[in-house]
Amino acid sequence: MTTEFKELDVRPILRDGGEPFEEIMKAVATLQEGQGLRLLAPFRPQPLFRVMDSKGFDHEVFELEGGHFEVRFTPRMEETVAVSDNAISPALWPEPSVQLDLSDLPPPEPMQQILAEAEGLEPGKVIFAVLSREPLFLFPELTRRGHQWVGNYDQAGTAYRIMIRVGSGGSNA
Amino acid sequence: MLGATLSRWTMSYFAAALVCLVAGLILTASGFGYPSTAIEAPESLVVIHLFAIGWLGLLFAGSLLQFVPVLVSRPLEMPHLSLPVLLLTITGLGLLLAGFLGLAGILPLWSWVLPLGGAVLALAFAGLLWMVTRTLATARPMPLPAKFVALGCAALVGVAASGLLLTLPLSGLTANQYLVGLLLEAAPSHAYLGLVGWMTITAIGVSYRLLTMFLLSPERPRMTSRAVGWLMAVGLAMVAFGTVLAGAGTSPTATIYVATAFGGIAVLIYGLDVHLIFRERKRKSAEMNVLASLAAVAMLIACFALFGASTMSDLPIDLARPAAYLFVFGWLTGLGLGQLYKIVAFMTWLECYGPVLGRAAVPRVQELVNERRSSTWFLLYFGATVAATVALIADTPAMFRWLALAQLAAVCALAFEFTQARRLAIVPQAVRLPKGAIHPRLFLPSFKGSSQ
Repeated sequence: MTTEFKELDVRPILRDGGEPFEEIMKAVATLQEGQGLRLLAPFRPQPLFRVMDSKGFDHEVFELEGGHFEVRFTPRMEETVAVSDNAISPALWPEPSVQLDLSDLPPPEPMQQILAEAEGLEPGKVIFAVLSREPLFLFPELTRRGHQWVGNYDQAGTAYRIMIRVGSGGSNA
Repeated sequence: MLGATLSRWTMSYFAAALVCLVAGLILTASGFGYPSTAIEAPESLVVIHLFAIGWLGLLFAGSLLQFVPVLVSRPLEMPHLSLPVLLLTITGLGLLLAGFLGLAGILPLWSWVLPLGGAVLALAFAGLLWMVTRTLATARPMPLPAKFVALGCAALVGVAASGLLLTLPLSGLTANQYLVGLLLEAAPSHAYLGLVGWMTITAIGVSYRLLTMFLLSPERPRMTSRAVGWLMAVGLAMVAFGTVLAGAGTSPTATIYVATAFGGIAVLIYGLDVHLIFRERKRKSAEMNVLASLAAVAMLIACFALFGASTMSDLPIDLARPAAYLFVFGWLTGLGLGQLYKIVAFMTWLECYGPVLGRAAVPRVQELVNERRSSTWFLLYFGATVAATVALIADTPAMFRWLALAQLAAVCALAFEFTQARRLAIVPQAVRLPKGAIHPRLFLPSFKGSSQ
């Protein structure tokens, strides 16, 4: 994915003896979601890197002619993954033995299909499913049945992906 | 924990709400309150608050308890307040109505009843706000539909506070000049804060999530949806400002007009959003609840057209009150009944069959309701509502009462369909109660369940 940048040239401000920090923060505050900041400065703005890092931006530095610098601050795409309370080391789960594309089913049919699939699998097996949205009512039911799960939206936010590790029977089984 | 569970008391909120709707329509059809008496008359205030707090207030409160967790993917905070809030709302409403009946000379007049009712209601709404805002606060960043709900909460504070203040001069407890000024001028602002500010803004926000969910349409925070929120927020701020000034004797009519203009533009854009959501849907067949919602949105737009027309001063007919009527019955009630049709069936299905999903054959959600029969009732309801609005504009009260009777019949029929769904009455016998399924109670929670 290419990042779109907003440009801010602080060289004139510094030339006039001004303090650019406030301008930079103002520019950062007006960035759209996913938009980056291209900063042009007469020196390498080292202290800014930490500030921007804490705001969730990575940086790349390019040296320009005349000893000036271009810094590209790119927002980190955070892959927030939801994990069930009972999930243990999802990174070590085996490859999914079942793949389901449920993105064209209206709710609550995806929930029904996933639960049915889980009933037929041995404990430890993994299901991977794609849905059109977060199956909110499914989550507690999975946990209640002793299944572990992790899930998140894809980057475009149009599909929800969930991995379920079948448990060996929950409290209600 | 992540996800959403069934809200324990929501079905009880819905049952109480429907009782109030039926009671209000019986009163209206029998000629009690507006339009048989002036809209400011105490009899009218009884009926108006029975609809506004009893029906719509409880409907929205019950729905918020179920759907705010869905908006933010987190369970409801402080769910044990649900029952006290329900009981306080019913008690407060009862006191308020007793106070109005006292003013009408039907019950003995105790001047403390109205303010006490206002105070109990304010307490109930504070409890509701506590649960809703605490739950919303767990979401970072807040999704757009949740922001609409938060804005609606701000309006709820306004409507509860202005309502409580209005009870003081109305009951004769105080002759404070500011409060009397408020009583004379602020009623339209009070209504705007409740019906547009709280309910409409909340309904619009929640519909962005529910409509896309039911239609399998992509949900994205559109610029247009944000514009709807900002326009509504400006309108709301104008009305709040006008309400404060009203006490000082400045008529807030101008602020209401400007706010209505902002609201009108907002609902037009909202109509466009709904059109886009509908056009981008992956699921081609639209169910009854979606069709009823679309009808309700059309009526919402019609309301603002009527409000706009009513501001033309040289009109010989009253359009503002019929527009308000269409707003309450065409838009809010139409939408509410349409959503109840789906929510009741879905909640019942999940409560009953959730524990056995995948282990036994279960019916589809649609098999809990009779769509063909229900569509007749919806047609009757919306037809009668439009006709009743026309009857109000044409100033034919006798005709209006017959049409209110038709609305009552449609609502009773729909309420019957909801109870059929709760009873699993029309579910095919083979899949009705598989082993392990819990038969739901009519409107009380089943205490064995693990949901909240």
